[in-house]
Amino acid sequence: MISKKKKTAMHVGTILITLMIVFPFIWMILLSFKTNSEIMTAPLALPSSLNFENYKNAFKVLNYVQLYGNTFFVCIISIVIELTITFLSSFVLARMEFSGRIKSLLYGFLILGLSISPFILLFPVYKINVFFKLSGKLGLIFPYVATSISFNTLLLVGYLKTLPAEIDEAAVMDGCSVWQLMLKVILPMTKPVIATVVIFNVLYIWNEYPFASVMLRDAADYTLSMGASFFKGTYTVDYGGIIASSIMIIIPELIFYGLFQKNIVEGMTAGAVKG
Amino acid sequence: MYWLSKKRYIVGMLIPTLLVYSVFIILPIIIAVGYSFTKYSGIGKAKFNGFANYQRLFSDPTFWIAFKNTMIIFIVAFLLLLVGAFFIALLLNNHLKFNDFNKALIFSPAIIAPIIVGIIWVYILDPEIGIVNALLDAAGLSAWKQQWIGGDTLSPYSTAIIYFWQQLGYLVTIYIAGLKMIPEDVMEAVRIDGASAWQKLRYITVPLMKTTISTVAVLLITGIFKIFEIVQQTTGGGPNHMSETLVTYSYSTTFTKGEYGYGMSLATITFVVSLIITGVYMMLTREKGEKA
Repeated sequence: MISKKKKTAMHVGTILITLMIVFPFIWMILLSFKTNSEIMTAPLALPSSLNFENYKNAFKVLNYVQLYGNTFFVCIISIVIELTITFLSSFVLARMEFSGRIKSLLYGFLILGLSISPFILLFPVYKINVFFKLSGKLGLIFPYVATSISFNTLLLVGYLKTLPAEIDEAAVMDGCSVWQLMLKVILPMTKPVIATVVIFNVLYIWNEYPFASVMLRDAADYTLSMGASFFKGTYTVDYGGIIASSIMIIIPELIFYGLFQKNIVEGMTAGAVKG
Repeated sequence: MYWLSKKRYIVGMLIPTLLVYSVFIILPIIIAVGYSFTKYSGIGKAKFNGFANYQRLFSDPTFWIAFKNTMIIFIVAFLLLLVGAFFIALLLNNHLKFNDFNKALIFSPAIIAPIIVGIIWVYILDPEIGIVNALLDAAGLSAWKQQWIGGDTLSPYSTAIIYFWQQLGYLVTIYIAGLKMIPEDVMEAVRIDGASAWQKLRYITVPLMKTTISTVAVLLITGIFKIFEIVQQTTGGGPNHMSETLVTYSYSTTFTKGEYGYGMSLATITFVVSLIITGVYMMLTREKGEKA
């Protein structure tokens, strides 16, 4: 049994750490209601009133409909492509029979990507996109698909291997073709991992900045993280507006996290622990 | 399923993934290394110039500043997180009330856009409008005020602190997953034998957590070498390249200055340095493991 004294100490410690982590968020929210002159002249003071001016300005500076629209667009196309191709390849690697050596070699090759930093890829990928005449938003799709392959392979192969081989046998006895087996039998059973893969990749694309900053030239193509970076260098002008704008990008993200916390944590740690 | 495993299925179903992966991950690395041996301004053709970029790099003072800053961030963030996250995981690995809620909150910085993490911390560390200096002023400690970001010395340390804030919850979660794998009866036996908390930690918890600690270490090494948005947003590498890291320097050389050949040699070196550190770490821990 933990003694009462120790328990109190642990409570206090936990609360202190949590506060330390949460404080910057609270500070942001407080600042977002202050006017620019209040932020500059009285940094520590609480907002004098609940003033929504900064939020109004944020809507003037950033076109949220377009930012969310673009992010959503890139998300849907990338995720549909990556799920389709990685489900097929993972199915082969997890459930089909051929040389084990080739299989583990291919698996290792596809997992390698987890340790590759995107920064060495940026310029070459830009050139490759130019070669394929992919520009703007469309230029983001293949880099996002490609960088997700390692993670998806890790999760999908790992899960598909746990489904018993008898399922395939029974399905074939009943006259299923390979496609029917995959789409009608195996795919529905894979739903939980697919959910994790989708949610994890949505978050990745939502937050991704390096590729976006290289591929997106036209503000009409900007995704959310590009919208947020819009303020770089301009922050001497409108402190309050930047905070309000950032909050409007974080809040939906935190809600998303609240809803899918289990999948997000699972996805982020699975990639680490198994990789 | 032998009779389903026809060659044309196997090949046909593997090809799309292998193709995208090869064209957008493997080929770019080859291209990057290739460009690193050229002079290329983006217009016309890249001109082969042998090892000139690598020679230039060794005599480029900004490269060494970036290298030094990256190492400062690496050492500070690595030690803080490897050890700090471990103890916080020990603290949180229990059934206290509201613990899941606390864990969820501590994890939250890891899911928001890194670019916004940078923005948030400007309002904390900025010498003029940041809360840290304002608090020091209010406490009558104005003499302690510092240029936490944007000065000429402290930026990399601040970057490490910001990274700590961002990654803590994530690494704590991984540590907790490792702690949960230690069998309950081992801990029970230790308790009955009357081991002190320190003995328990030193002889049971840490040795049993070796794999998890290695995982966290490797994650930290690869993660720290990917820090970009935080620096970009807080200082932009300035003033006068003083707070540049390897990644931001290679980025700005490539995309701002348009020196693609030199930029790619910086990117290649950065990549190689992180691979070497990972390799050295793995070798060190393996040796230790054999002795034990």
